Amino acid sequence: MGCTTPTRVPQYELSTRWICKRFGIELIDIEDFVCCGANQINISIETGLLLAAMNLALAEIQDLDIVTLCPWCFTALAAGVEELKKQEVRGKVNKQLSTIGLEYNGRTRVKHVSRVLYEDIGLDRIREEARRDLSKIQVAPHYGCRYLKPQWASEGFDEPNDPKTLHQLISATGATPIDYETLNLCCGGKVFPVSEDLAHSLIAKKLDNLQDKEVDCMVLLCQTCYLMYATQQEKVSKKSNNQYNIPVLLYPQLLGLAMGADPVADLGINLNVPSVDKVLAKIGKDL
Amino acid sequence: MAMLGKPIRVSGLDPNFKADVIAHEAARDITACFSCGTCTAACPVHEILPEFDPRKIARMVNLGMRGRVLSSPYIWYCTTCLECEQHCPQNVNFFNVLNVLKNMAAKEGYAPPSWVNQTRQVMQTGVVFATEEAWVKKREELSLPPLKGDGREAAKLIQSTGADEIRSKE
Repeated sequence: MGCTTPTRVPQYELSTRWICKRFGIELIDIEDFVCCGANQINISIETGLLLAAMNLALAEIQDLDIVTLCPWCFTALAAGVEELKKQEVRGKVNKQLSTIGLEYNGRTRVKHVSRVLYEDIGLDRIREEARRDLSKIQVAPHYGCRYLKPQWASEGFDEPNDPKTLHQLISATGATPIDYETLNLCCGGKVFPVSEDLAHSLIAKKLDNLQDKEVDCMVLLCQTCYLMYATQQEKVSKKSNNQYNIPVLLYPQLLGLAMGADPVADLGINLNVPSVDKVLAKIGKDL
Repeated sequence: MAMLGKPIRVSGLDPNFKADVIAHEAARDITACFSCGTCTAACPVHEILPEFDPRKIARMVNLGMRGRVLSSPYIWYCTTCLECEQHCPQNVNFFNVLNVLKNMAAKEGYAPPSWVNQTRQVMQTGVVFATEEAWVKKREELSLPPLKGDGREAAKLIQSTGADEIRSKE
């Protein structure tokens, strides 16, 4: 579940758990999981790798693969898997892991939840389960950086320069994905701790673009992107004297709506800012 | 960066700097950079903040401008979106190169407090964000499983690399 989602964007976790249950995917929580190391590499690459290895080892003990909600966790862990294929590196890391009673033998596989939905569940099954009519909803997909890059991490799952999978996942719910000029623009989440102004400028660029398009909502698959476009939206509005009002949904929330979930109890939609009321009204569902 | 338009003094260059950088396997690609600037053209941060310039950082490393690079606040302004790598004709892994530079800068105390504090947080709770009471309660209300919030084992690993000793001058 990562660091950010469980406490800052719990509706992402709630809706993903609901979706997985409906599709018969059993999620097993490993309570000893720690930070994936994605941020630690800023000050110590070695530390980042050790933290990734610790998580990979914890999953391996239970013979489990890892599915992540956070695209950063996904690439940090995938990079760990790759790096730890080198015998010399693994030997050194295992020596350090042994101090906490762990060992990693290279068996753990990692996928982001989007890829599980796309590949393991499949668009056909999503279409079958999506019974509520979302055809009036115009959606701006936002892929985010780690969903697509580095491409090797997800074994060529999508094409970073011309991505398609989130468009397809949205279409499968019955909603209509749109194309827009700033589709590939980064949310600025990883520069936010260093410069809020810079992150806000990046956020504003995309929101300006989307305001012109008159979309009903944005849909994304990363809690950091959510924190930027949704949680920071009011602040960015004030700064730029531009009153944005673009609801932001996590993809499992959109899918849950299509599958007939209770918006509040199952998907935590009441936690989203800005309010998603307008989207719900369009599909004839009130909070 | 700050060097724009000013002459570069050869006496101020450190011929070993590049060697120190590429001693880290992750940064070895930097030698393939021929300064075409595709990275900079693709960089969304550069568009907003022209002082942040991946090509210039790469050039400065290759020239041996150790002090200027490691003390530069701009090496921390990358939003790590990987557009630079996506478009690099020489397959330079600039994200990794920058991480190596940031690691070297961090050892000299140049890391922003926000990153240094995250390491402390992981050592205490195992995760980057504090698990305040309000969030614990929120999770209970949503019937989500409780978080363990234990960083003891992560702390042992962090201590083994010396990352816990990194301080910020700011």
